[in-house]
Amino acid sequence: MKVELRFSTERVSEPIISSVILQEKAQINILRAQVSEDGGRVLLEVPDNQADEIIKAFRKLGAEVIVGKIIEIIEDKCIECGHCITLCPVNAIFFEKDYSIGLDEQKCIQCDSCLDACPTRAIKLYGE
Amino acid sequence: MEYLRHKNINVRKIHNKLQQKRNLQLENIRTIEEINEKIRKGDVNVVTAEEMVELVREKGSTIAAKDVDVVTTGTFGAMCSSGAFLNFGHSDPPIKMENLTLNGVNTYHGNAAVDCYLGVTKMHPEKPFEYGGGHVLEDLVSGKEIELEAAGYGTDCYPRKYLKTIITLQDLNQAILCNPRNAYQRYATATNGRDEIIYTYMGKLLPNFGNATFSGSGSLSPLSKDPNYETIGIGTRIFLGGSIGYVIGEGTQHSPTNKFGTIMVKGDLGKMRPEFLKGAAFTRYGTSLYVGLGIPIPILNEGLAKKTGVSDEDLKTNVLDYGIARRDRPVLKETNYAELKSGKIVIDNKEVSVTPLSSIKKAREIAKILKEWIEKTQFFLTAPVDRLPVDTIVKPMKVVSRIPFVNEIMENVVTCNLNDNIDVLAKKIIDNNVNHIAVIDDNDKLLGIITSFDITKAIATGKKGLEEIMTRNVITVYPEESVDICATKLEKYNISALPVVDRSNKLKGIITSEKISSLLGRIGLR
Repeated sequence: MKVELRFSTERVSEPIISSVILQEKAQINILRAQVSEDGGRVLLEVPDNQADEIIKAFRKLGAEVIVGKIIEIIEDKCIECGHCITLCPVNAIFFEKDYSIGLDEQKCIQCDSCLDACPTRAIKLYGE
Repeated sequence: MEYLRHKNINVRKIHNKLQQKRNLQLENIRTIEEINEKIRKGDVNVVTAEEMVELVREKGSTIAAKDVDVVTTGTFGAMCSSGAFLNFGHSDPPIKMENLTLNGVNTYHGNAAVDCYLGVTKMHPEKPFEYGGGHVLEDLVSGKEIELEAAGYGTDCYPRKYLKTIITLQDLNQAILCNPRNAYQRYATATNGRDEIIYTYMGKLLPNFGNATFSGSGSLSPLSKDPNYETIGIGTRIFLGGSIGYVIGEGTQHSPTNKFGTIMVKGDLGKMRPEFLKGAAFTRYGTSLYVGLGIPIPILNEGLAKKTGVSDEDLKTNVLDYGIARRDRPVLKETNYAELKSGKIVIDNKEVSVTPLSSIKKAREIAKILKEWIEKTQFFLTAPVDRLPVDTIVKPMKVVSRIPFVNEIMENVVTCNLNDNIDVLAKKIIDNNVNHIAVIDDNDKLLGIITSFDITKAIATGKKGLEEIMTRNVITVYPEESVDICATKLEKYNISALPVVDRSNKLKGIITSEKISSLLGRIGLR
């Protein structure tokens, strides 16, 4: 499953992720990492069966862990044109049989590619 | 001779038979009055254009023509040529509005004192590419409050010079959606052959044919179902923005001879619904409005049954390279709406993801709603009071001074091979009085570029091999691109020259910033 970590600026230089990998002996995949003036944000893929322990371990080391929604398509705004589909590198967005927009949240890597392309600005990333 | 004569007779016979069949197809089997009578009685048979395609495929056009009275169509796409005439009534003391904004968006007010036209592509100056005229129209239709700010120069009859107020759609005397060009019969498919992302009115196009977009609803598209405009004409009653509208003439750039017909439409904004009028923002291009539009086509004869039964496979369109910013963009291939709706097309031996920019789901919904309106006696058909032109073409703009293109101004480029040594290059630079040397392979393909600064640096740091000093990711231009593109690229990448290559990366010449400057200087002096 996907979890998002947020660090304060002070903790950006600490090896939090590698500590948790070693401690939990977990295979953690870093999907996206970003450091800016307001701290660090990292999107991780963690094994489902170790997720609870891993999340606990991160929290213990002072990282904020966000689990759950990472992307949302705002229904009122979306006109279901499908332009976002062609821009998604991981096929998280797709057409259903009746040309409704389908979304597989678990696939999203928060690459942002679809955001500025949506003509009705109907796509929202959580924590933006 | 005998054989030929015999053959001629046969050909004539076949021709006559075809002609007879054609005449039969054009022979009217019902009138619009008869259809309206059926609507009134509640026994009209209406199908959507998609249903008609199936019916004609299964039972043939003769039976379909007998069974079906009306075929409904629909489309929901960004239609930049849209806007509304608004009349606000007079304030006391009255004002002749000279500068008028609605939610900060400028309107055109070159008509009477309190009239304006709000165009959907006009952007809010502080929220460019995010909020514009289309959004104001959507907000109006949604019943939201709109801030109106107006200034005038003051006249004897209209003394007021400034006014700020809040209005809603209800407060206006008239709010008439009036779109000079809507419902393109078909549209091109856009992709991008450049090596960088481009943002266009066809959306965000990824580099190297990374994706593609198309517009139009194919077999649901109104004008492609009546391609000779036999029933769609001036006065045709239509579905517009969730309410009733009318065709008021041919649209601007109406080009029936190559099946790019368009219509001009109007409707009462006050009765429209926000689901069918949506403000749109295209990053780095501008704002627009998605317009829902549907037209009922009366099946007056078998010919119309056949035409409304045309399938997505039969509706062809071209894939264009929007990476080349010219009036006539290069055609990469022909495709059809069935292929486009499948989500994948092949360009350059590569499978490319393609989706519409318009909404197929909404187009379907519109055709369905229109069908229901007719079935429920809420919508009657009209006969056009005049036909749309069928023989016009779109002319390009007459331009008296022209901008040169790369192939007209490019210069010869000094080249070298990867195994040349630096001394040879230094000599080439001095002998030819140039600053750039292109590194090419045996087939003239561009490998990299070396500047006189690179040579100086190589000498200073003791580097010898060209591989170590050349720039590999060279920004290039194509011969058919315009000088504007060169100027933009030189500035954007902060470079001093652009090698010119063809599609296979073969070196053709070079454009330097000196050349561009001297050219612009000359144009400026004129």
